[in-house]
Amino acid sequence: MADKDPIRIGILYSETGVTSTIGLSQLQGALLGIQEINEAGGIDGREVVAIRYDPQSIPARYAELTERLIVRDGVNVIFGCYMSSSRKAVIPVVEKWNKLLFYPTLYEGFEYSSNVMYTGAAPNQNSVQLAEFMTSNFGARVYLIGSDYIYPYESNRIMGELVQQRQGSEKLAERYMALNATAKDYKEVMADIRNKQPDFIFSTVVGESTAALYRAYADAGFDPKSMPIASLTTSEAEISQMERGMATGHYTSAPYFQSIQSDVNLRCLARLRQRFDGSSVPNLCWEASYFQMHIFANALRQSGDEGIAQLIPHILGSEFDAPQGRIKIDPTNHHTCLYPRIGRVNTEGQFTIVRQATRSVYPDPYMVTHSLGDWTAKLDALDV
Amino acid sequence: MNDIGATRHTLRVTPPQLKELRSLKIAVIHPDDVDGMQLTQQLQRIGCQVQGFWPPVQVLPVGIDIAFIAVRPDTIGLRFEWALHEDAPTVIAVVTYENPTIVDAVLALGAQSVLPSPVRSFGLLTALVLARETHKEKRSLTRRLRKAEAKLLGARHLADAKAVLMTAHDVTETQAYDLIREQAMSKRTTIEEIAATIVHASEVLSLGGKRLS
Repeated sequence: MADKDPIRIGILYSETGVTSTIGLSQLQGALLGIQEINEAGGIDGREVVAIRYDPQSIPARYAELTERLIVRDGVNVIFGCYMSSSRKAVIPVVEKWNKLLFYPTLYEGFEYSSNVMYTGAAPNQNSVQLAEFMTSNFGARVYLIGSDYIYPYESNRIMGELVQQRQGSEKLAERYMALNATAKDYKEVMADIRNKQPDFIFSTVVGESTAALYRAYADAGFDPKSMPIASLTTSEAEISQMERGMATGHYTSAPYFQSIQSDVNLRCLARLRQRFDGSSVPNLCWEASYFQMHIFANALRQSGDEGIAQLIPHILGSEFDAPQGRIKIDPTNHHTCLYPRIGRVNTEGQFTIVRQATRSVYPDPYMVTHSLGDWTAKLDALDV
Repeated sequence: MNDIGATRHTLRVTPPQLKELRSLKIAVIHPDDVDGMQLTQQLQRIGCQVQGFWPPVQVLPVGIDIAFIAVRPDTIGLRFEWALHEDAPTVIAVVTYENPTIVDAVLALGAQSVLPSPVRSFGLLTALVLARETHKEKRSLTRRLRKAEAKLLGARHLADAKAVLMTAHDVTETQAYDLIREQAMSKRTTIEEIAATIVHASEVLSLGGKRLS
């Protein structure tokens, strides 16, 4: 009888708080994945049931709820987290109970836990490509601006070092803003930008204040054609929170954009619209959250056991036809082989893809010194 | 706000200690068990060049920068000459116990850092960088100290030699110094060397004198 028991999994995406836009999209990615798995007969006839809590974008809540999911709800596998601070709060708990966390978010690297699978981009899968593209098209005088936490600090270190490999490069400023910064807070930054006239602005602003940054930029009357914002974190979700056209002409580097014209992506988006009635804003974190659910289900079908020791051998090295392309979990570092892309925001608030990798790029989370001109970072130009 | 922005401007620079990580040659002297594997795999993730050794070796290949070594009850009797050598690699001990016997063995190895078992991936990178940095600093301080000591000894010899010449030849201190310097020039050696020879010769002669009297 136990063979027909549902499989309970834990879900921790922030549905409220400063990172709730991304959190909600990640939740929808997970739920879509679960629906597909259950409609295909579950896992050997067993239904997947999600137990989900809202950590409200507060790291301490993530830790408490992880403990609750494991101890009270008895789950073995948890899907969740966005900001690094939330992941760092969850890791000690999953390590203590020897459970597994799937983390579907780009982050700054320099981490490996045998209890975590990382399905978002490491810096060698997004920063290097962005630096290459921006410096060769706009110049190497950069103005760095980010939210005040660890991911922007480390991303800016990497970007600063990358642009310095170009002639005539200059790091004009490195600014950090509160997670709840408003357009008014950015006004002074825009005045400084007007003074310093960078070739481009590198933004690692995350969450709700992203819209405020682009608003302040537009209010300042700057032109994205000559001084665009380049970002790793401004996705379709953040753009959907802006007034129409506000982000047009700016750039983002990500392994996934909604506008990818593959059959897998188009079919997946159609199912998503059906499931959530068009209320959903798919983006890079949504996609990672979606495909990692299938990676888990496929591994569980093979292992037949949710225990981490039984599950992990079937996760490592496994592949999946994700909306971005055929991805693979790297067996040595638990990160994922992904397809870097550069997109320019068009008038519909979608990304026109201007560069993309034809082969997946191996994750190298412990890379200290990134280099421009690395052939693995070279992307194919698209005619647009 | 602006002050913070200004101080942070220079913050995000990659330390050279991190840039060299991928060129480091590392010996892991540890049994091929779970800890040994965790350690080796994490070092490989970081991008270091790793070589494993077990049982413990008495000779390490040339060019090893860092040696991780398991300090276990069954190996604490062994002496590792290479670890005490002046150009020894940075030693990081991997310990399963922390009783005085084991701590004593860790001290005897001249370890710069310690890694507790069970080995976790987190913390290894920082331990590695810090141990290497401390070891480098220590080595450079030792070299500078040795140079300073030699310099000091040389100065003492010079003073003694000048005194010897002043009494023996009834010259002033400046003249004594000039004599020593001339000798050094013609013999193509250092002033300290000539001074040491004079002091030494004078000691031998005065000994002879004692015997005559």
